[in-house]
Amino acid sequence: MPRFLKLLHGDQTIGRGPAFWVGFCVVLLGALLYPLGADDYYVGNTAYFFIWIFMALGLSLIWGYTGMLSFGQTAFFGLAGYGYGVISINLGSAYGLTFFALVSAVLLAALLALLLGYFMIYGRIGGVFFGIVTLSVTFAFSQFLAQTAGPQWRIGAARLNGYNGMGGILPLSLPWFGEEIYIEGSILYYLLLVMLVVCYLALRILVNSRFGNVLVAIRENPERAEMLGYDIRKYQLAIFVIGGALAGISGAMYTSWGQFITPATMALPAVAMPIIWVAVGGRKDLTATLVGTFVLLYVFQTVTVYSQQYALILMGALLLLTVLFAPSGYVVAFAELLRRLTAAKPRDNAVSRRVIRRATDD
Amino acid sequence: MDLLAEVFSFVFQAADVFAFLVLAASGLAIIFGMMGIINLAHGEFIMCGAYVTVITVQTGMPLPLAILCGALAAGLIGIALERTIIHRLYERPLDSIVATWGISLIVTQGTLLALGSTWPGIGTPAGTFLVGEYTYASYRLVLIGSAIAVLVLIYWVFMKTRYGVFARATMQQPAMARALGVRTPIVYSVTFGIGAALAGLTGGLFAPTMTLIPMMGMTFIVEAFVTVVVGGADVLLGTAPAAIVLGVIKAALTAWYGQLFGQIGLLITVVIVIRVLPEGITGWLTRRRA
Amino acid sequence: MASILETRSLQKRFGGLQAVANVDFEIDDGELHCLIGPNGAGKSTLFKLILGRYPPTAGTIRFRGEDITHLRSYERIRRGMSIKMQVPGIFKDLSVRQNLAIALQEHCRPARLAAEIDRLAEFVDLTEQASQLAGNLSHGQQQWLEIGMAVAIKPSLLLLDEPTAGMSPEETFKTGEIVHRLNAERMTILVVEHDMTFIRQMARRITVMHLGTIFAQGTMDEITRHEGVSRIYLGESHDG
Repeated sequence: MPRFLKLLHGDQTIGRGPAFWVGFCVVLLGALLYPLGADDYYVGNTAYFFIWIFMALGLSLIWGYTGMLSFGQTAFFGLAGYGYGVISINLGSAYGLTFFALVSAVLLAALLALLLGYFMIYGRIGGVFFGIVTLSVTFAFSQFLAQTAGPQWRIGAARLNGYNGMGGILPLSLPWFGEEIYIEGSILYYLLLVMLVVCYLALRILVNSRFGNVLVAIRENPERAEMLGYDIRKYQLAIFVIGGALAGISGAMYTSWGQFITPATMALPAVAMPIIWVAVGGRKDLTATLVGTFVLLYVFQTVTVYSQQYALILMGALLLLTVLFAPSGYVVAFAELLRRLTAAKPRDNAVSRRVIRRATDD
Repeated sequence: MDLLAEVFSFVFQAADVFAFLVLAASGLAIIFGMMGIINLAHGEFIMCGAYVTVITVQTGMPLPLAILCGALAAGLIGIALERTIIHRLYERPLDSIVATWGISLIVTQGTLLALGSTWPGIGTPAGTFLVGEYTYASYRLVLIGSAIAVLVLIYWVFMKTRYGVFARATMQQPAMARALGVRTPIVYSVTFGIGAALAGLTGGLFAPTMTLIPMMGMTFIVEAFVTVVVGGADVLLGTAPAAIVLGVIKAALTAWYGQLFGQIGLLITVVIVIRVLPEGITGWLTRRRA
Repeated sequence: MASILETRSLQKRFGGLQAVANVDFEIDDGELHCLIGPNGAGKSTLFKLILGRYPPTAGTIRFRGEDITHLRSYERIRRGMSIKMQVPGIFKDLSVRQNLAIALQEHCRPARLAAEIDRLAEFVDLTEQASQLAGNLSHGQQQWLEIGMAVAIKPSLLLLDEPTAGMSPEETFKTGEIVHRLNAERMTILVVEHDMTFIRQMARRITVMHLGTIFAQGTMDEITRHEGVSRIYLGESHDG
């Protein structure tokens, strides 16, 4: 087995051994077969859930793995969303140019993350200030877009259209023997599923690599990490950009999916959502983030059918309960419970509960 | 004479922004400076103060008293919140941000459910005055005066009262303060309560000038953050000077380039300040004084 | 003998306080050097200046012949310094193995990493605890773990800031043995300590700091006979 594949599991990810990978394959198989049996509406809806998970994985890297609480994810989401809209409207969909728009939009988000991250990280903004500066920037960006209603706010053929949002955006499409195939319905579903699996596995490798080791070292004790010879600012900036680009994928795919984007996707309450998904699932683990995000999106949508206010109150309450009673997240707590129940050997009482996970890992 | 009127106009605008920033930020800054916690539900305390003020006015109470009721209500809720939730999170500043964020979400959506999307306002107290050819609302003067009064009050409370001595001791050396018999949990509760009450006061003061909606805290919170980031940890040494600097910048940009550039100018100032003065104005002043 | 570290007229002011005043300080290559002095003498500040945690107010620092006065901390570390901090600086939520892996990973071939971790864990006597979370170790074990991490990056100069603080006499003795073995492998070591038994066990050469300056320098015997030294200790400090 190539060395990098061994990094699919390691200290920084829950889940290893045959049982986990068998489960992974079963879930993946289920996801692959799902469109064959399910109604088109549900397939589209599940694809919609997939869209958001990239942004959550990005936040897990920034906040969970590296310890920087960022409210910037929806800003990168929004920039990529608008970026995709503007580019696709201006370039059209010939020659598969919408995919060029997708890539450019993601790069645009990464660029904003690089700029913002540079000023904050190299300005030694840390701790709580990192949170409120990113939050201020996100709010200001959404307020800026909200007042672009006038006809003078246009980029080429694309009108930003202020609070009401930009419409008329082209969906992803590919030319196919003189015809155009629109990436929607189950094609979109499969595209997103592939992207998601690739991202998830690649990120597992990343966080279990030497690079990932340094990330968690920075989270645990930045001074010690620097005193081992690591230029921690480079690592922080790198992960902030990677996380921003992941949010960009969400933003661009969202815009392609709905062909529409508004500043509200960046403002309250949207800006709270990634924080909630990641915290409740378990920010320090990619799998927990993925599962938690999917489940919460489903719950949120189900409750929203009755009342959006109740759904949001539920989300706020879940966040509060997580912080107070399960700071590592519910999916992580559940995984630990599962492990403890299945662990054959009796526990020695002296060792603290926290050790169990690591100890049985090794 | 014309020039004088222009100058007055500019100074008045800057003072108006200054008042807004001081009032919006002081509660947040006290809680942050004393306890290291950023209270993301700060905007909701402002909203609470505004609603209580307006509702009590509508039941027939005079405005000044109603504003005090708003501040009191927010302060009491603040203390209750500190006792039940916040005090568990002092060792975990990032988690306290996240928790107050959850509270903020619950409160805004809960208010939306309970009281609807808007609440009828009470209108700005009448009265204008004229300088040159510009007219100004007198109530703006009340706001500017209140901002200055709040700063004086903070100075008095933290420098001249017994509580202030305890609070500063607790902030600097919690263990030592405890050893000297200061009941630090009470100090923390009271401090959080003062921060919340100031937010409520701000809500009450601005309530007559604004539309009452559950999300109204949003209007204040970004400017409050910006002021605290630029100012640093100390209310008197940081927030007040930061509000002056930002007030002048924003008033100038707004006067010459419009509202939007005023906003963007504030953010650019923040970015520059964090690059040049990582500890804000507080850190800079403290280093110069030392 | 060639000096590995050399400060010239090094100064650090905090406002009106002169924490380090005109310090000319040298450590020879391969020596085991102790830095002592009452609380507030400027030892910690000197350490932080050497490591680049603060910029000096004036003066220069040279390390292995190179002027490092304006380098950032991590750059100094990469040039061959390492430190065990006063408060154990470990990654508490990670296992002992992971702690060591993070320190080692840039300094050995990937294929050798596991073996090197085992070797290092054995060196600081944490083989049995290798899978535990570092935060669950005893205080002494945490100190050893950090020494292990500091050594993992193969420094030519190791700084130890109160390595025996909070240790029992047996643990202190064991720490002394670890330090001696490192020094025997030609690692230059500078120790800040309060524990006189430990210092007696350790050092060939001792530097006494007082009020931000170097007050005396010499062997253990010379220092104990030095009248001024006992005076500053007895007169102005309650520990030692």
